[in-house]
Amino acid sequence: MQENEASVFEDEMEYGVPSNAWRTVRRLWEAMGRQRIRLVIVAVSVLFYTVLSVAAPVYSAGIIDLLWRKIRLAWEEGVTFRVSWNSGGREIVILLVIYTATGILYTFQSFLMASFAERLSLELRTMISRKLNRLPLAFFDNHRTGEVLSRVTNDLDKMAEVLQTGLLKLFTAVGMVVGSLIMMMRFHVGLTLIFLLFTGLSIFFTRFFAAKTLRYASLRQQAVSRVTGQVEEAYSGRTVIRAFNREEKSAGDMREAVEELARTSRNADFMMNAVNPFIRFVNRVGQAAIAVFAGKLLLDGVLTVGTFQAFFQYVYQASEPLTEAAYMVNSLQSSIASVERIFELLDEKEIRKDPDVSRIPENPGEKIAVVGSTGAGKTTLINLLMRFYEVNGGRILLDGTDISLMSYEGLRRHFGMVLQDTWLFEGTIAENIAYGRTDASRDEIVAAAKAARADFFIRTLPRGYDTVLGSDAENISAGQKQLLTIARVMLCNPAVLILDEATSSVDTRTEMEIGKAMQELMKRRTSFVIAHRLSTIVDADLILVMQNGTIIEKGNHRELLQSGGAYADLYNSQFAQ
Amino acid sequence: MKTIFRFLKPYGKLCVFTVLVMILDVAGGLFVPRLTADMINIGVESRDLSYMFEKGAAMLVVTLIAGAGALAGSWLCADLSAKLGRDMRNALYEKSLELSEHDFEQFGTGSMITRTLNDINIIQQSVVWCIQMVLPVPAACIMGIVMAFAIDTVMGFLLIGITALIIALAILVTRRASEIFGLLQRLLDRMNVVLRENLTGVRVIRAFRKEKEEEKRMRKTFEDYARTSVSANLLFAGLESAALFVINICIVAILWIGGNRIGAGFMEIGDITALTEYSILILFYIIMAQMVIILLPRSRVCLGRIEEVLGKEPEIKDGTMEHVVGNADAVCFDHVSFRFPDADENALTDLNFVCRKGETTAVIGGTGSGKSTIAKLILRFHDVTKGTISVNGVDVRHQTQRALRERIAYVPQKAWLFSGSIGDNLHDGDENASGEKMRHVLSVAQADFVSSLANGLDAHVAQGGTNYSGGQKQRLSIARALMKDADLYIFDDSFSALDFKTDAALRQALRSEVRDAAVLIIAQRINTILNADQIIVLDEGKIAGIGKHDELLKTCQVYREIADSQMKGGGSNAGK
Repeated sequence: MQENEASVFEDEMEYGVPSNAWRTVRRLWEAMGRQRIRLVIVAVSVLFYTVLSVAAPVYSAGIIDLLWRKIRLAWEEGVTFRVSWNSGGREIVILLVIYTATGILYTFQSFLMASFAERLSLELRTMISRKLNRLPLAFFDNHRTGEVLSRVTNDLDKMAEVLQTGLLKLFTAVGMVVGSLIMMMRFHVGLTLIFLLFTGLSIFFTRFFAAKTLRYASLRQQAVSRVTGQVEEAYSGRTVIRAFNREEKSAGDMREAVEELARTSRNADFMMNAVNPFIRFVNRVGQAAIAVFAGKLLLDGVLTVGTFQAFFQYVYQASEPLTEAAYMVNSLQSSIASVERIFELLDEKEIRKDPDVSRIPENPGEKIAVVGSTGAGKTTLINLLMRFYEVNGGRILLDGTDISLMSYEGLRRHFGMVLQDTWLFEGTIAENIAYGRTDASRDEIVAAAKAARADFFIRTLPRGYDTVLGSDAENISAGQKQLLTIARVMLCNPAVLILDEATSSVDTRTEMEIGKAMQELMKRRTSFVIAHRLSTIVDADLILVMQNGTIIEKGNHRELLQSGGAYADLYNSQFAQ
Repeated sequence: MKTIFRFLKPYGKLCVFTVLVMILDVAGGLFVPRLTADMINIGVESRDLSYMFEKGAAMLVVTLIAGAGALAGSWLCADLSAKLGRDMRNALYEKSLELSEHDFEQFGTGSMITRTLNDINIIQQSVVWCIQMVLPVPAACIMGIVMAFAIDTVMGFLLIGITALIIALAILVTRRASEIFGLLQRLLDRMNVVLRENLTGVRVIRAFRKEKEEEKRMRKTFEDYARTSVSANLLFAGLESAALFVINICIVAILWIGGNRIGAGFMEIGDITALTEYSILILFYIIMAQMVIILLPRSRVCLGRIEEVLGKEPEIKDGTMEHVVGNADAVCFDHVSFRFPDADENALTDLNFVCRKGETTAVIGGTGSGKSTIAKLILRFHDVTKGTISVNGVDVRHQTQRALRERIAYVPQKAWLFSGSIGDNLHDGDENASGEKMRHVLSVAQADFVSSLANGLDAHVAQGGTNYSGGQKQRLSIARALMKDADLYIFDDSFSALDFKTDAALRQALRSEVRDAAVLIIAQRINTILNADQIIVLDEGKIAGIGKHDELLKTCQVYREIADSQMKGGGSNAGK
């Protein structure tokens, strides 16, 4: 429920349109595998269910007519009528049997469908999780997390819902409408035409409302975006707002945006809310017309008491699916579009299979620093080193071996990585530290934490090493998270280190601790440091200065300063932060 | 729950009225079958067409009234929901402004955004659903039963029995359903968390070669979710089947017992239709209400999160002094110590110094020495743990925050601009400033680049100022502060993104601009503060030395180390 970014005011009327519906459906059919047989069984069951449902009202009409006949007969004879096995009772019991049979069929098919869709989406989800591990890093960098997330959760949930209830509804609706209309025609054609006229009217109004609703919904969406922007901005910039005494103005701006949102959502909500009552109104007017006309037919003896009420039952049975048809088609369409997006993800290009060479590099303990302004290509260098991305030309040698000839497994075993973007998973602190070495003992974990200067704060937490980190690890600070990622690498004891030493999101108190922990980590190891604060890299053995994706200078601090080039400029302007 | 009533209170009449019109709609739904039944009865007995038209007309009137009620209900519900959302959002935002930095950080920006947008949205929806679909239900049941009694006492009791049966069924399902739905929501969250971790942590996962384990972890959350979804589906399939079954039993019972009652002359043949419709409607309303009730626990959670913010007691209590003007020193630190609420060590310990008007005071120190905290304490974003800070001779805690900040111009470490135009941002410093003044201030702040922009002062600023470079943002942020006529100007590490030349030019222009005011510069670079009247050297939260540059070079070890590392191009102990 937390931060479900895409679903703020998720819109009811947002339907995707599939680009190649038929192909997607065929593919989905194939993905169903052995489950297809269920669908066939359900289809057969639905057929019987529909037949029985259509038969029930006409049978109950017969019973009412029968009862009414017997009652009048009894009255004429001057005796009190009582229902008994031979006077209507048998027929009522048969009706109960018919009802029970429809009930059982209904239960049967909905129970069959209950797990059908979920199994299918489980199947697809598993395929996606396997796929994720074979996708190149570029995929993750080019797609927003929320977008991919929504495919795996929302899109598949939508598909499951439509498959489970929608498909069943669609099957039965078609049968019901056709069956009911045939029966109505048999009772009286004129009455049926009145019904069709009003149904046509309500379909027309539904469409009319849908278009209007869409327009109001988009107006609301605009207001939502405005409020969202305003809220984000106000919360992020609250220090400035408060320092400049702009609270009142900011609250005023907020009130204005919120007022606009209230106005537009009132309109949009009203349109949404009003559709059903309005359609109901049209249908009821139709029913009144039918009732008067049918009443006349009853007087004329064309209809009987039983058929009169049976006709109404058919009216109810047929009108609901008919007015909902447009909605059903739309939701079916949008679920196909959802499935299409999932297949799209499954069709993404994968990384190529890797060769299997692995060698262990020497351990010279050199410190290599990479400096340069934002966008200079510092991160790319690391991406290439770890083979998150492949080089387009040239090669990278690790202790003399071209890394593109090594297996990912073999290559990455040598590297330890601490990124600015601290990543921890939902689990205990101990589990997080032992991420790279699940077999590590508690003592080893504690030792790593101590070396990373994380032991102290871990001990102050209520459950120590067994404290569970929440989904966004809100219970510990950004700096403490960074310390944990350092401990994590510490435990793995890799030959080569990659450090992105930015500590921008960290309060000054922990910033220092991180610096010390990083120093500790770098001892006796080859390390690549992306430097943000030049003071920390003056002792590096090699400094690479990057600009626009190339290394423009290299050397140690002294050499580079003396040469008076880009590094010297950078240093003099102290490009801190 | 109290919170909901607090926000609904101004609209009490609106709520009652809404429920009333909704009941009108329900009543309409019950009257139509009643009239249909009458038509059947007329049809089989009196054989007079004019009665039929009369009933038809009555049906039209009922339909119109019910339709009007439903439409009015739709409008009122939408209106109520909108007002509720508006009021809650405004209250939440205004509350957020009262909170101190530390108060606010406890919620976090991300969570506050979710609370203001999504949570309130869910609450709005639940309130409206309750009014639309839960509150009219008792009325629907009672009216249905009363109308059944109007037909025949026995049938009335039959309907009571049916209603009780449906309610029992609903309660049974609701209990189980809220369990399953609670679990389902947790599993969905879990699935989202694990997936998100896999997407955002792809580099770490691959670096640690944990792909297979992650696959298994995902698979497990998917399976748990699927399993629980299936039981939710089964529950609903079960509910639907049971409801269908109840209705069918109803129809059969009405036929059998109704047949006897008609035979005995207590009711008429058409009444069977009416009774059947009543029970179907009652079933429908109860099931709908039940669906809403199942979803309520979710909005309880959201409501709890809103209440948490609204009920938060602000850490900082506002002072009372409105106007503080005096000839006293701009800032005076008297034995000030400060500790973050969750920390075990002091961030600042026993600081004593004075910033005089017309002078420049500089604070320098390594990272983690507590420099920025000094600025935040002066602005009273935090309260001191020990000692007192006086601004213009008065303890900051005795002044209203508004009065305190009125006299201080602040350039934060992280240059943050608001979306709008450059002019809008500058107006934050002085609302009534002329274009002339703005241009002047921009040139002082070395931000002349603005005049070369196509729209000049009207040039667009994106949210957070992301369409400008770090240096440009910083200069604009400085200009914004200079717009203000203040007794104290605080520059919190504000020159770091500027190159050496701009830095120097700016400082020179600055001095003549803020002649009579005190200036406090917090910096990392010695160059920036070389000429300050007073330099305070901070080391691990304590003052390691106070004085002018030349004096400090002689007397202060820490200062000398910083100077060495920066002025002579580094050495073995540089920067450490």
